[in-house]
This record gives sequence, structure tokens and C-alpha cells, in this order.
Amino acid sequence: MIKIKNISRHYQMGPNTVKAIDDLTLNIAEGEFVSIVGPSGSGKSTLMNIIGCLDSPSSGKYTLAGEEVAGLSRNRLAGIRNKYIGFVFQSFNLLGRESAVENVELPLIYAGIPPKERRVRAMEILKRVELDGREFHQPNELSGGQRQRVAIARALAVNPKILLADEPTGALDTKTGAQIMALFRELQSEGVTLIMVTHDPDVASQAKRIVQVRDGKILVDVPVEEWNR
Amino acid sequence: MTTFKFTESVKMSVRSIASNKGRSFLTALGVMIGVAAVITLVALGNGTQKSVEQSLESLGSNLLILYSGETKGTSLVRRNTSNIKPSLTEEDLEFLNSLSPALITVSAPESSDSGQIKFGNKNTVGTVIGTNLNYPEVRNFYPIYGSFFSENDLAARKPAAVIGARIYKDLFEDGMDPVGQKIRINGVGFTVTGIMEEKGSSSSDTSIFIPMSTFQKYISGSDMYALINIQASDPDTMRELQTHIENEILRLHKLPNMDAADFYIANQLDLLNTLQGVTSTFTLLLGSIAAISLLVGGIGIMNIMLVAVTERTREIGIRMALGAKSSDILSQFLTEAIILSVGGGLIGIFLGITTAIGANRFGGMASSISINSVFLAFGFSVVTGLFFGGYPAYQASKLDPIEALRYE
Ligand SMILES: Nc1ncnc2c1ncn2[C@@H]1O[C@H](COP(=O)(O)OP(=O)(O)O)[C@@H](O)[C@H]1O
Ligand SMILES: [Mg+2]
Repeated sequence: MIKIKNISRHYQMGPNTVKAIDDLTLNIAEGEFVSIVGPSGSGKSTLMNIIGCLDSPSSGKYTLAGEEVAGLSRNRLAGIRNKYIGFVFQSFNLLGRESAVENVELPLIYAGIPPKERRVRAMEILKRVELDGREFHQPNELSGGQRQRVAIARALAVNPKILLADEPTGALDTKTGAQIMALFRELQSEGVTLIMVTHDPDVASQAKRIVQVRDGKILVDVPVEEWNR
Repeated sequence: MTTFKFTESVKMSVRSIASNKGRSFLTALGVMIGVAAVITLVALGNGTQKSVEQSLESLGSNLLILYSGETKGTSLVRRNTSNIKPSLTEEDLEFLNSLSPALITVSAPESSDSGQIKFGNKNTVGTVIGTNLNYPEVRNFYPIYGSFFSENDLAARKPAAVIGARIYKDLFEDGMDPVGQKIRINGVGFTVTGIMEEKGSSSSDTSIFIPMSTFQKYISGSDMYALINIQASDPDTMRELQTHIENEILRLHKLPNMDAADFYIANQLDLLNTLQGVTSTFTLLLGSIAAISLLVGGIGIMNIMLVAVTERTREIGIRMALGAKSSDILSQFLTEAIILSVGGGLIGIFLGITTAIGANRFGGMASSISINSVFLAFGFSVVTGLFFGGYPAYQASKLDPIEALRYE
């Protein structure tokens, strides 16, 4: 599904070049559940952005579902994000003025789904994340866990192949974090490819595979059983 | 842009405008005022132009005025001719009357002086005008009550007087029949034969018309005329007629050319053209002042849209992450700007029309709403939205999704 070969992502900071990703190679198969761990500033978010087609590598090859992504136009990347990828962010990133169901409808708007169908689908997905009854609440009327579930529902709205979550439990307490992780495992069992960045070792070990990065390179890449040893 | 995208953009814009009503109103206010100003000011300019043209036409049609004196000018408005030495003679008038009716319909000599008018113990000041029976026709100015003085009055130098509407109001009790009453002009007794219609201009309404022969006998003591009003038969040949009359009068006065002339001719067409030129410049000026305010309104929209784009950077990042293309973001913000400016424009059209009508109805100002200015102002507000909304929308569409998501 995801084939990353020798990619680098450089930032020019004045005279210095920051290598956020440095010659990194990584393959992730369809249906995997991968945790990416590593110290702050090690390039986890940059890697996620590249996988999610929000950012393009400075060099190297990235093939997503058989398609070479590097060098695609902004518009094509937007199309790929819309169709294949769901994002879940640490800070939820919901639109504050829109209700839960309207937030979930957003990607469907850009997918060109007509309003009625949009509403039906968004309501279904909210039910799926156990938010029925909260559909018309604004984000500020919801708890953190509920907001993150709205964000997950939104990410799932277009039935993406890949769900990318950058510290999804970072802003949640342990209990709500655990609920989100339960939801993720369920999604994975349904065939969604899940890639998650986290600081929390307990959360990380919910995945099936752990990738540890440091200084833009992969340090360790092992199944979770091996990691726990 | 597909209809789908268009309706989505409109929906998003309406929501965003509605969620910030106060600011949206203030943003649209600039365009509103600009559009209203364009429509009102152009209506006032047009109205002034029309009323000037109308009052010119009310002077009589195809009017040429042969004046005594060497001053060149185009004034058709009666001046005080008392300090200019009258130089026009009965011979000049006879020449004009001898011209074919294909050239001149009618002509009337005119001399005037200011006079003290008395009736009983009431007193007023007016312009005493000596003329002949053709005056009402050539000046398109008729008695509304009683009659003009008669052929007989003229032939017998009788002290008969037709009084202007203001003179009647000043001297007589309301409703009193003045015909047959004796008034005194500079101490000489005159019998009133009628009242002239009200023209609304004080120079016309404070006039008193008496036979030319009587004027010469009691007032000027000279047999010259100050001016001769001439009504041309055909507006298209007025200029040729003017030249012809100039040449003939020069010959009658035994003068070599117009530089030496003791008379000149004012032409209604020239005056009309001059005034039209002046009033259309006036309208243009008002229009440009208004257009500048529209421009300022547009800059207001740009300013607020730039602020909105900055404020909503994160929203833009979220939308992009969820699959919004640059064109989606562009059309969202552009639509918002266009709705603001077109909405402001529509309200402005309503305000402008209301103000123009109100200025006429309650302010007594001449106003004539020009449909062109309404379309122009509306078109301008659409263009304002496109142009001044275009730049902020373009900025929004070119944001980097990651930078935008990171924006606090
Ligand atoms: N837009 C940027 N400009 C400059 N440097 C950046 C930018 N984004 C990330 N970096 C740098 O790249 C490195 C990796 O950042 P990031 O991927 O956010 O790390 P992590 O998510 O693991 O904390 C850091 O050193 C960071 O400072
Ligand atoms: Mg990070």
C-alpha cells in the first residue's frame, strides 16, 4: 500500500539545512496497524504529512496504492487526500462554527457528494463512533473524547484506505484515550490501514508494528511483540 | 466552476457572512454607500440638467435674441438693458418682419427699465417691459387671466399694462380682479388688462408688459429698442439665419463687420449646448466622486477579506487536508466577497433610489434616476467583489496546507 524509498525532507533555515526526514525507507502493507514513536523533533509529523500527501519529499520515491506521488500537482494531491486518506489530529481540528454532522460532511463536500446523501452518510458514521444524539452539537459543546470521535468520523467519511493519526490521544485522558484506541483496533479489524504517531508507550503498543524514528531516520522497525520484550 | 461547487461555495459564504453579521454589514457598508452615492448624485446631476433644459425651452422655441451693444455673449436671460444704449431701430424690426415665414415665425422688440409700481397704498418694484403683441408667442409666455394689451393700445400709445404673477400677489388682495384697475408705474397711471402665467423665475414673474409705443413715450423717451426677440421657423437653419440677420443689420446700421457691430445675436442652441456641456461635466464630476467612494468600498472589502483569510488560516488548512482543492478555497472566498459586495450593491441601489426620490419629493431638488447609473453601479459592485475579493481569495488558495494547519 505504502512504499517509501530513500525519501528526504529538508528545510532551509537560513544558512542551515534541517533534515527532518533523512534517507528513510518504509513499506506498510494494506490493513496494518503501525505506531510511529520517537523523541520530539525526530520527524514523525513530517513523515505523516508526507504519507498523507500534505507534504512532498525533497527527494526519494513515494508510491501510494501503486501511484507515484512525488511530483503530482497540488490538485491531484488534494484529490488523493480526499479519496484515500483520513486525518486525525491531536488538536482535533474541527471547524468550531459547524455542528458535528457538518464537520463530518466536509470531506464529502469536496468528494462531490450531493447534500442529502452527505447527511445520511455523516449521520451513519457518527452513529458508528457512538455519537448519535450529538449530531447537531457544536464542537465546544462536546467533551475532548467526543470531539476526537467526531474527528475520526470525519476522517472515515469517505471510506479512506489509510487513517493517519498524529498523537490522537495526546489531548485526552487515559480513559478516553483507551476508548479511541478500542475504536482504532475495531477499524483495523475492518481492513483500514492505520498509522499512528504517539508518545505514550501504552498507546503505541496497541498497534501491531512499531517504527521508531530519530533524526529523520528509522532506528527500530519491529512487530509489537518484539518491542514489548 | 461546476454548479455543485457554486452552490457549495454560496452555502459556505452565506454561513460565514451570517455568523459574523456585524462585521459583514460594516464590510458591505462601503459598497452600499458608494453605490447609493453614484445613483443619488447622478440622479441629481441629471435632474439639474433636465430642469435647466426645461427652463430654457420654456423661454420659447428656436429663439434668437438680437441685442443692442457690442458685448458678445450667449445670454438669453434678460439682463438689465437700461445701462446699454439701445441701438436697434424700427427699420431693423421691419427688415425682420419682411423675412419669409419660412425663416422667421414671429419677432417682438423689447426694451425694459426698472419701475416703482403702486396700487392704492401698496408698493413694489418690477421690470417694466415695452414690447408688441408678438411677445407672448415668441417667448412662450401668455396671460393666464384677462388679456395681453391690444392692437389699439399699441397704436394709440395707451397706458395699458399686463402684470406678472408676483406683481399681482404683491399689489392685490388674494382673489381680487385686477382687470380695469389703475396702477401707477413711476407715477404714471396704467390700466391693468391681465395677469401673466407664473413662470417660477422672479425675472419673469416681476415683469410688467406695456405697449412699446407707450414705453417710448413715458419711460425711455427714445424710439430705439434694447433687443428684438426672434423666433426662427426651422431649428436646423438657425445658424445660417443668424449670419443672414447679422449681415443685413450691419448693412442697415452702415457698419463694415461684426467687430464694429453695435449689436449681437444670442442663439438658443448655443446656450443649450453650453449649458448641456456644463451640466454633463457636473454630472460626470458627481459621478466620479461617487465612483471613488465605490473604490474605497472595494478596498474595505479587500481589507476585511484579507483579515478573514488570516483569521481562518487554520480552517483553510483543515479544508485542504480533507481534500479541498485550491480552486475550492478560491471560490469559497471569492464568492463570499462577491456576495458581500453585490449584497451591499443591492442595498445601495435601494438606498440611492430612495434618496434620489426623497431629495426630489421632500428636498425640492431636481432628480432624475438614470437606469444606466443603476446598472453601472451594480456592475461596478460585482467587479469590486471580483477584483478586491480576488486577491485575498487567491492568497487563501495558495496557502500551504501544513503551514495553515499549524497556524495558531
Ligand atoms: N516548516 C518547517 N520549517 C523548518 N523546520 C521544520 C518545519 N517543520 C518541521 N521542521 C523541523 O523538522 C524536524 C522534524 O519536525 P517534526 O516532523 O514536526 O517532528 P516531530 O513530529 O517528530 O516532533 C524538527 O527539527 C523541526 O524543527
Ligand atoms: Mg509532531
